[in-house]
Amino acid sequence: MSHPSATTAVRRNPFRWRPDQQWEAYLFVLPSLLGFLVFVFLAVGASFGISFLDWGLTGPRGVAGLSNYRELLRDPVFWRVFRNTAFYIFTIVPTQLLLGLLIAVALNQALRGQELLRIIYFLPVVTTIVAGAIVFRLLLSRTGPLADLVSNLGELAGLPLRMPDLLGSTQYSKWSVVLLTLWKNTGFTMVIYLAALQGVPKELYDAAHVDGAGAWQRFRNITVPLISPTTFFLFILQTIGAFQLFAEPFVLTRGGPAQSSMTVVHYIYDNAFRFTRMGKASAIAWFLFLFIFGFTVMQNIMQRRWVHYETE
Amino acid sequence: MPRKLWSVLSVVMVLALALGACAPVPPAPAQPPAEAPAAKPAVTLRWAFWGSPEEAVSHKLVADAFMKLHPEIKIETWNEPWDNYFTKIQALWASGDPAAVPDIAFLWPTPKYAAEGVLENLDPYIQKSGYNLNDYWGGLLESAKYQGSVYGLPRDIEVNVLYCNKDLFDKAGVPYPDESWTWDDLLAAAEKLTVKDAGGKVVQYALAMEGGKYSKWVNQNGGAILDDYVNPSKCMLAEPKSIEAVQFFADMMNKGYAMRDADLSQAGGDAAVFLSGQAAMIIQNTSRVSTFNAAKMNYDVAVVPIPKGGKRWNPAGGAAWVMSAKSANKDAAWTFLQWLQSADGGQKLYTERGEIFPALQSAANSPAFLTDQPPANKQGIIAEAAASGVGGFGYFPEWDELDSSVIGPALQRIWAGEADPAQLLPEMCKQADQFLKDKGYPKP
Amino acid sequence: MRPNEGKTLAPSQIALYAILAAGGLVMLAPFFTILVVSLWPNQAFLARRFPLEQITLNNYLETFRVIPFGRYILNSAIVTVAVTVLQILISSLAAFAFARLRFRGREGLFLLYLATLMIPSQVTLIPNFLIIKNLGWYDTYLALIVPGLFSALSTFLLRQYYRTIPLDLDEAARMDGAGSLRIWLQVIVPLSGPVMAALAVFTFQATWNDFLWPLVVTGSQHMRTVPIGLSYFVGQYSTAWNLLMAGSMISVLPVLLIYFLAQKTFVQGITLTGLGGR
Repeated sequence: MSHPSATTAVRRNPFRWRPDQQWEAYLFVLPSLLGFLVFVFLAVGASFGISFLDWGLTGPRGVAGLSNYRELLRDPVFWRVFRNTAFYIFTIVPTQLLLGLLIAVALNQALRGQELLRIIYFLPVVTTIVAGAIVFRLLLSRTGPLADLVSNLGELAGLPLRMPDLLGSTQYSKWSVVLLTLWKNTGFTMVIYLAALQGVPKELYDAAHVDGAGAWQRFRNITVPLISPTTFFLFILQTIGAFQLFAEPFVLTRGGPAQSSMTVVHYIYDNAFRFTRMGKASAIAWFLFLFIFGFTVMQNIMQRRWVHYETE
Repeated sequence: MPRKLWSVLSVVMVLALALGACAPVPPAPAQPPAEAPAAKPAVTLRWAFWGSPEEAVSHKLVADAFMKLHPEIKIETWNEPWDNYFTKIQALWASGDPAAVPDIAFLWPTPKYAAEGVLENLDPYIQKSGYNLNDYWGGLLESAKYQGSVYGLPRDIEVNVLYCNKDLFDKAGVPYPDESWTWDDLLAAAEKLTVKDAGGKVVQYALAMEGGKYSKWVNQNGGAILDDYVNPSKCMLAEPKSIEAVQFFADMMNKGYAMRDADLSQAGGDAAVFLSGQAAMIIQNTSRVSTFNAAKMNYDVAVVPIPKGGKRWNPAGGAAWVMSAKSANKDAAWTFLQWLQSADGGQKLYTERGEIFPALQSAANSPAFLTDQPPANKQGIIAEAAASGVGGFGYFPEWDELDSSVIGPALQRIWAGEADPAQLLPEMCKQADQFLKDKGYPKP
Repeated sequence: MRPNEGKTLAPSQIALYAILAAGGLVMLAPFFTILVVSLWPNQAFLARRFPLEQITLNNYLETFRVIPFGRYILNSAIVTVAVTVLQILISSLAAFAFARLRFRGREGLFLLYLATLMIPSQVTLIPNFLIIKNLGWYDTYLALIVPGLFSALSTFLLRQYYRTIPLDLDEAARMDGAGSLRIWLQVIVPLSGPVMAALAVFTFQATWNDFLWPLVVTGSQHMRTVPIGLSYFVGQYSTAWNLLMAGSMISVLPVLLIYFLAQKTFVQGITLTGLGGR
């Protein structure tokens, strides 16, 4: 049976909606669903309820109604961290997707040392965040090796180049977080893409090569569409991850200086565990949820335009 | 493919099992190890503290000493790393399970938790047993009070002194500081102790102090953070004396005499910069002493210089032992607590091990503290401790939020050299006043 | 994408190698620093001076002496292996239903799954903790393992991948009389080797390094896991950097091993013509 070319239109599901398939489906989903009900939906629902209460250390202290939400809308700290988070989303997500894909494509070829390189690029993902952040603080310091490198390069070019104060100034602190996050997480994107690339039939590339298509054309017309479901997955996931960025800025800069690199989830954490205001923390989480959910629904709708599935 | 993976995973498990079998595993820690006391203990107390494994050793020794004196009480220790302690203990309180919550715990800051109702009011116990509160350093107990009642007994007091690297002082030809030094003397010494290279980059700083300790300068100069630290109504950091003090420290950073916070944390903290000679002086509490002694540094401590016409001052605060409101053994817990916080009991033991500067004055003025281990100038530490008072931070539950949302960020911008104190502090005080109003302060 | 099968290196390949090597150095540098700090005493790190004669393996031994690290590793291993294997199984079954079977409420339920990814764990921590406590699972393996078995992320990834597998294979199997379970077992699972391997790596890694949840649901020393053990080295005033880094290095090894093995499946060209019909 010949494989349909990657550029044919999406096929409709030939199966009609069979009644017995419903039962089967529910059985397949059952273990997952049961667990979700108890360990995920319940807690998530509880946090929604809590957002309307004044919840201290040991439980509800009273009903807050909408006042938690009203307070966060007026809270200058919330909007500050929200803007920071937006910055992270727009800088990290596209870069990470692109870099991960390029590295995966490069390491998918039969190069010598391919396995070793794959391990090296994956190492940051498994390094503990504390150790990684400490090292980054050393490397990015104003008096550290990177700064020296920059000014040496500048000398060579005859320009008075100086590395901006990535850790100590409110203007540039976010960039240090961006660098740490990219370093730490690009390996994740790479591995997922590597797995996806295995699913692209080799014959397609060979056929295209025979037809005279160059490397870039093969990439654009074969690779990209066929891994688009994975790209969709990674896009959604990385955006959610960027919305919820916490560990990297927390360990690297503690959100500082002056909250210039602090994220929304860090603020949620502070409200929940430092100020013992679980109600406000939940309200912030659910307010953030609106944005993330809206984004996801929008992507879900738009995926028909660019995501290519073999099935309907 | 997955099969191979699964077989590998099982190999990993076997290896881990083997490791687990070989490694020394503490014997059934859930149950306390069976000793053979003369009388079977009638009561078991759970005692919680944070700390590294080495610090835990000190606490265990203290527990053993107590159990010898009181065989009818058994102490079970509960130790968490400092970073996680608060999350963990809050989770336990949230569960409301009296069996899970420790009877006596280490805690900071006390008023916040007292306001949540999870701590036991210690006033009745103090009165009944005639426990002497006057032995504590001035203002220290305020940090463990809520609505006028004592909810915790501080174990130690944070005393910030000036550490001096004598070798670097000798090299620069600067005399060691003494009690007569003023801010001007400090600045003059700082100028000589700062070493810059040909490019103008500082290779040796005169001073390294965390920006968070700014209250020392402010209070020395007669300024303040709030008008009242238990029931505040107004932010006082925009007063001339406060601004002057903040400007003093900001100037030191701007001139390159003192390390900026970001540089300090990148360099690994004040202990690291002092050890490596990157800073000739640091201002820090006594916890660094053991590190410097272990490295056999040639150093001494001194009182921190005060401005002309100012006063010596030290923030009165320290982590406290508290009793859980849900404890099932409150009387036994009080017996333990009282002994822990007595000059010949726990206080003496901790001080002897060199871990703390004790909260009780009599313990500080005893041979337990006044050893011949470095630093030599122990009287300087006592002098600073005697100058302790309220004024370093708020003693009301919402202080943490005010500090991290309003005051802290503004000051961080000043320490980063991005803002001018005279301009930023009045703005900040307006926000702080609004915050207090929103939270209902001052309370009637 | 193999333009040059010959032995000589094209200039484009040399450039590629150069870029990859440079990138590799960037990836490696922090890891290398961790290694260095783990081989010297703590004073060396504090003073930022690493004299060669002070190199020691003592830190690695110390981590086992100072805390019950062996026990922590055992716990982490049990929990992580159980979660990895079972979670992929459960998610795979559910993903099959979401990708292949039609049932009422399918899209809505899937969206609900996705939605749970959008609530940060900080606000569900305490509610989940209370649930565990009420089940009586506090301080047991059940508390560490069971909640981790249900992952929207795994289900999402697997569903995406299953949807790229052509329906012809399903049809062929159905015509042979196979039920959904056999299709799942004999068609879908074998074809999703690389993705399952990738998922195994990430689930293993995430569970192994999970910190906040084990902290909250365990109380006694003999139930704790590796990340909690490492946090003991971070003190209020000082950190035992040498032990922290040594512990981190040890902690990295199992995950690297799993990755190394999983990687074997990332060999392009294994799936297709050999299995026929694709």
